[in-house]
Amino acid sequence: MSNTVTSLRTAGTANRDKDRSGWVLPVIAATLAVGTLGYIGTASLDSIEARALTTDVLLERLFEHVSLVVVSTVVVIAIGVPAGILLSRPGARYLRPPALALANAGQAIPSIGILVLLALVYGVGFRMAVVALVVYALLPILRNTIVGLQQVSPFVIDAARGMGMSARRILFTVELPLAVPVMLAGIRVSLILNVGVATLATYTNAGGLGDLIERGIVFNRMPILMAGCLLTIALALIVDWLAGLTERRLRPKGI
Amino acid sequence: MSFLDYVSENSTRISFLFLQHVQVVLISVGLATVVSILLAMVTERLPKTRKAALSITGTILTIPSFALFGLMIPLFGLGVAPTVLALTVYAVFPILRNAVTGLETVDASVVDAARGMGMASRQRLWRIRLPLAWPVILNGIRVATIMVVAIAAIGAAVRGPGLGELIFRGLSRMGAANALNEALAGVVAIVVVAAVMDVLFLIIGRVTTPRGLHA
Amino acid sequence: MLDISNAPDGTTDAMIRLTGVTKHYEGSDAPAVAPLTMDIRRGEFVCLVGPSGCGKTTTLRMINRLVEPTAGQIWIDGQDVTHSDPDQLRRHIGYVIQQVGLIPHMSIGQNVGIVPSMLGWDRKRISARVDELLELVGLDPSVYRSRYPKQLSGGQQQRVGVARALAADPPVMLMDEPFGAIDPITRERLQAEFLQLQERIRKTIVFVTHDVDEALRLGDRIAIFAEGSRLAQFDTPLEILTNPADDFVRTFIGEGAALRRLSLLRVGDLPASVDSGEPVDLTVGADETVAGVLEKMLMAGAERVHVAGGATLTVQDMLLATALPKHPALR
Repeated sequence: MSNTVTSLRTAGTANRDKDRSGWVLPVIAATLAVGTLGYIGTASLDSIEARALTTDVLLERLFEHVSLVVVSTVVVIAIGVPAGILLSRPGARYLRPPALALANAGQAIPSIGILVLLALVYGVGFRMAVVALVVYALLPILRNTIVGLQQVSPFVIDAARGMGMSARRILFTVELPLAVPVMLAGIRVSLILNVGVATLATYTNAGGLGDLIERGIVFNRMPILMAGCLLTIALALIVDWLAGLTERRLRPKGI
Repeated sequence: MSFLDYVSENSTRISFLFLQHVQVVLISVGLATVVSILLAMVTERLPKTRKAALSITGTILTIPSFALFGLMIPLFGLGVAPTVLALTVYAVFPILRNAVTGLETVDASVVDAARGMGMASRQRLWRIRLPLAWPVILNGIRVATIMVVAIAAIGAAVRGPGLGELIFRGLSRMGAANALNEALAGVVAIVVVAAVMDVLFLIIGRVTTPRGLHA
Repeated sequence: MLDISNAPDGTTDAMIRLTGVTKHYEGSDAPAVAPLTMDIRRGEFVCLVGPSGCGKTTTLRMINRLVEPTAGQIWIDGQDVTHSDPDQLRRHIGYVIQQVGLIPHMSIGQNVGIVPSMLGWDRKRISARVDELLELVGLDPSVYRSRYPKQLSGGQQQRVGVARALAADPPVMLMDEPFGAIDPITRERLQAEFLQLQERIRKTIVFVTHDVDEALRLGDRIAIFAEGSRLAQFDTPLEILTNPADDFVRTFIGEGAALRRLSLLRVGDLPASVDSGEPVDLTVGADETVAGVLEKMLMAGAERVHVAGGATLTVQDMLLATALPKHPALR
């Protein structure tokens, strides 16, 4: 069922590729970030607010958030891409449905649920948060790697075999380059999911910008809350924008 | 205490939250459906506005849900209102997108034949195009619903209604007896809500799809 | 089991020899290809033709072992390749398919250079070869070598497909309905160009098609497959039209065999009739086809025609000669 959600997000991002001029997102994101920081710098804050919003704290939260996203995305790619390649080989035909079902199931669980269950069973902290993010974001990359490889024209592969290319050479010079656009779309979705789920990592003591939002709610301090929300949104928009740029840059010519 | 014991002992509270969850999801998706279909119809002759609407609602999907929930607090306080509003905002894109695709992909020759019979544009919309686009729109609603079922869990972070409360309470009582059972009950119940909704939409689809469109 | 009736008379100059080649897919009772034995001579253009499911494509794909035969042997140029390394084997056999299968993210030049680069040619040699081949198939290298496949029309893509198959100058070319997906006008042009090309390069070609007319037009010999992968007849176009082996072949080549033969017969091969000394309206070359000459005569309103360096023929002569099934000129 979250199948549909991921494909939806993929379609959403692809959809926006064409009509959104490249500068709108970063400008909005920059405005949000600069506006937030400007407000923090000029507004009169009480002691709780001032302590929660020092530059050091903000940078630390941002660093935690980005680390969570980067580490989990790297792990997801390191697991998802090779697994996707293996599952797309003809020999793994029978493993594909159960593997996809398992990855699907991981995503069917609400993200906060995975985080909390893992924290309750295995403990809190950065590592467990990364595990939760990986479990949640694995499906898009795994599935898109498989789909990307499967949509390569069988005739192109037949012609390549007919020219005497070995299976290995076909994988690396024909199939993988042709699967890159679909794989990149999957990686982008995973990345966006990770940015989102990482905001919840504060509940399992892994920090991140979500920490500001949580504090804002707990202490009922709107400046902290708003700073957390707006900076998170700015980060999400910038990550999506960068991912889009990379996606276009890495797309092989001719397709 | 085993998980099943926990569930049977707390069945009243769990089923109360279960119904709350379903309620909040249905209200949000209902609102989003009205908004989306209106948007799709209003922007019928405004392709640029339509593109912009899709663009904006699509971008909203990339916003982390916790941040969007938080953003609602200064405006609506804690509780039901920010939850419903945030969920509605998320649910618009899938429905709008499918409404637009659905209406745009209605076979042009059918619409042309209707014009040829002298149907006015409003009649064509209500009697021809909406019924033909309905299966696609309904699928958009289904996708939005299932997505929102999961996101609604985070609503508990802003004191919203629904099963997320079990997850957050389990977390806050970490180490205590039954903390895990409580969180697990919340997670499992949410997956059940999603499954129930999926089946519900299957039935709605069967009942409301015009007969001639059944495969 | 071994049926050598199709082997050419006494010659051992077989470029491709299939002996008892069989393909049996697991889980199906009937073989995809029943034991098949045939010889294809060096430089010969052989068409495999038949209804769908007759095993002609499977047969083709067993020659470069894209399909592994269940039994039998495949010989190429006197070597048994049934168990040799398939990748090495394929680098020395040209392969062209209907869907072309150009690699989309590689430029035309890169596509054509794939096999040479796998064979370890140096860059200069590959580049020169690519230009030469693009010229050969009628594409200006300066225009096309850096383009990508999707920027080309279907006909142009298949020209590249042919160039790519010829890249390492393989003695054998396997072609699976190469012109099947191309619009009729372009197809005829490509067929004609390809025949001219073959005059120059003299490859041994195995060409699968379901179109009898294409087979009659292109093939030196035609192998007609019947259902159940039975080789119904393997002979020259003229012989097949003149003496169909059985009812299946007769039905398969369809109506108008006699008329079709007119475009295969050349006027120079027809027996001279008695020269009545009456005036001649038209002079034609001995190489022209009977159909072409008849067309000229109809257009010119001529009743008799002089074949350069030969006889004078009437319309009657031509029609009678072609109707004679066992005429020596037709053997």
